[in-house]
Amino acid sequence: MRATLDLGAAPSLGSLYAKGLGAGVKGWLPGRKSPQLVLPDVEHRVTALRPERDSLVAYQRLMGDTVREELPSVLVHGLAFPVAMSVMVRDDFPLPLLGMVHLSNAVEHLRPISPDATLDVSAHAENLREHRVGTQLDIVSEVREEGELIWRGTSTYLARGVWLGQKQASGAAVREPFVAPTRTGSWGLDAGTGRAYAAVMGDYNPIHLSALSAKALGMKRAIAHGMYLAGRALAGAAPHGAGYTWSVEFATPVFLPSSVDVAFTDSGNGTEFSGWGARSGKPHFTGVVTAL
Amino acid sequence: MTAQSETPAIRQAVIIGGNRIPFARSNGAYANASNQDMFTAAIDGLVARFGLQGQRLGAVAGGAVLKHSKDFNLVRECVLGSSLSPETPAYDVQMACATGMEAIGSLANKIKLGQIDSAIGGGVDTTSDAPIAVSEPLRLMLLELTRARSTGAKLKAMSKFRPSFLAPNAPGTGEPRTGLSMGNHQALTTKAWNITREAQDELALASHKNLAAAYDRHFFDDLITPFAGVSRDTNLRGDSTIEKLASLKPAFGKNLGEDATMTAGNSTPLTDGASVVLLGSEDYAMANDLPMLANFVDFEAAAVDFVHGAEGLLMAPAYAVARMLKRNNLTLQDFDYYEIHEAFAGTVLSTLAAWEDAEFCKNKLGLDAPLGAIDRSKLNVNGSSLAAGHPFAATGGRIVATLAKMLHEKGSGRGLISVCAAGGQGVVAILEAR
Repeated sequence: MRATLDLGAAPSLGSLYAKGLGAGVKGWLPGRKSPQLVLPDVEHRVTALRPERDSLVAYQRLMGDTVREELPSVLVHGLAFPVAMSVMVRDDFPLPLLGMVHLSNAVEHLRPISPDATLDVSAHAENLREHRVGTQLDIVSEVREEGELIWRGTSTYLARGVWLGQKQASGAAVREPFVAPTRTGSWGLDAGTGRAYAAVMGDYNPIHLSALSAKALGMKRAIAHGMYLAGRALAGAAPHGAGYTWSVEFATPVFLPSSVDVAFTDSGNGTEFSGWGARSGKPHFTGVVTAL
Repeated sequence: MTAQSETPAIRQAVIIGGNRIPFARSNGAYANASNQDMFTAAIDGLVARFGLQGQRLGAVAGGAVLKHSKDFNLVRECVLGSSLSPETPAYDVQMACATGMEAIGSLANKIKLGQIDSAIGGGVDTTSDAPIAVSEPLRLMLLELTRARSTGAKLKAMSKFRPSFLAPNAPGTGEPRTGLSMGNHQALTTKAWNITREAQDELALASHKNLAAAYDRHFFDDLITPFAGVSRDTNLRGDSTIEKLASLKPAFGKNLGEDATMTAGNSTPLTDGASVVLLGSEDYAMANDLPMLANFVDFEAAAVDFVHGAEGLLMAPAYAVARMLKRNNLTLQDFDYYEIHEAFAGTVLSTLAAWEDAEFCKNKLGLDAPLGAIDRSKLNVNGSSLAAGHPFAATGGRIVATLAKMLHEKGSGRGLISVCAAGGQGVVAILEAR
């Protein structure tokens, strides 16, 4: 039985990042094998969260969505994210936050969520497993309204160079060459895209903010936030007035500024989407939205 | 039990005549003219031609695609500034490039229902007097300046400034939901229908030749009023050649590489201009001793889902024509003239290809047999938008007036109009000679 830690109020992301980065300098070195690579068996919880209407509108404007009386799925993710982060910066969390790669998300948005809802958020880590270049795990966040589960998101992260057991002898990834589909749209992402997302979501991760702050963390330029890309895709594909599931997988980062070609394809009750570099032709993300 | 009110009998709406000012390439001859200036000039030319001074018409409707917020009552202001009676009601219509067609068609319906006896419909657009946006090079320069960390880098960024950066940016024709320009959308459709560069250039050349020939035989003498020292469409290149057109580099769909076929020559340029059409009941025309060029028989709008790529942005007219033909019990071949707006040569050729395609007609239009081919010698016989230019909302009025006159000259037969529009829309219409 997983223990529950009630955090009281939602922690601030700024202090969580500071803690995560601090832990990073404390001695995490690539290639190090933890003596105890075990996930903490605990669930962090914050109750009675209220979304802010101003940030809802700001989010909808940022994503080019219509202002309407429903919480977008990525905004719910943003509400839950500090709770998820608080799990990842625990002292007994076995992987370094610094340099962790966001691989994918799978979300069940079980029914429309009112902007006036009072939400309880819980998060835990699970499914620690091998990856070709390291170790991956899932952070599962659950959102409830009056006890009813209404949103469940699984975010998968990778810690490169951290191994569960013996370092894998696998060679380079066997990737099928990416062939861009016929584009149905084009996103012009300017250099301020990361800052605009941070301002709306309160998520000031330095790798998204500016070329300089990203360079400090080893990136050649600022990269677009994965949830910004997912939010843009959902603004163009998520159903309204109904529940839905969606997932997204990230392939290569979108360095800012960037022109991203996108394709949306409707099939049955779902929409597949993908994005790739207009100039580089490199795949950035693929995903699917399906109405429930 | 209440008796049902009697519906007035449907009567004919006739096209009496039209008037436009010559179309001028953007930032050229009409650089200092506003939408209000141009639309008023078009109305006043029409008023002078048909002796409507001081008349109270049933309605004047029209619009512009690119509009200043101060032009919230554009058409009414134009009427007040014209020599029509100030008691003539007026209203604005906006349906992207189908604005003119929607305005004229709706007015025809009012006439048919007996609500009004006379009307002027049309449209106007200027991309020269549009709200100014920062030019793309200036935007890029400012971005570089933002990224520059050192004074040296900042100076280097600023040194790229050129006076031309201050020129107003040509208003974008980007679709808000996809971020792709209209040309880049059409490039996808052009490729999907395997339309060749050669076929597009040939259509463009024919447009210029046909428009030039129409001017030479004074066809437009009673359809155009000179404006700002211009008496012919300034985009017209009667001496263009297939070689010149073939030498142009692709302007749209450049990401398609070898398959990029759309150039500035086979795409319409940004243009300024205005057009109007005078409509009336038969009684109105006869009572005022006015000509009757053609009946406005019917019109139909369609829209397609281009956002997720189910259909090409500018393919809606292909659907609208199928529905309108069925309603009127006509085939695609039952026409003497076809006026298919040349937003891009690729648009016309993709539409024609779709109508000939059995699979498209079955799966998309729900038809047992394809609509079939048309006699290409009946297509845009007096030129179209590739030569004349395309001031978005003004194109419908240009086409209706031109086709009505052609049908009247012929004395019999029908004409089909097809106009595509932004947002995946289109309006089509049938005119009939009188």
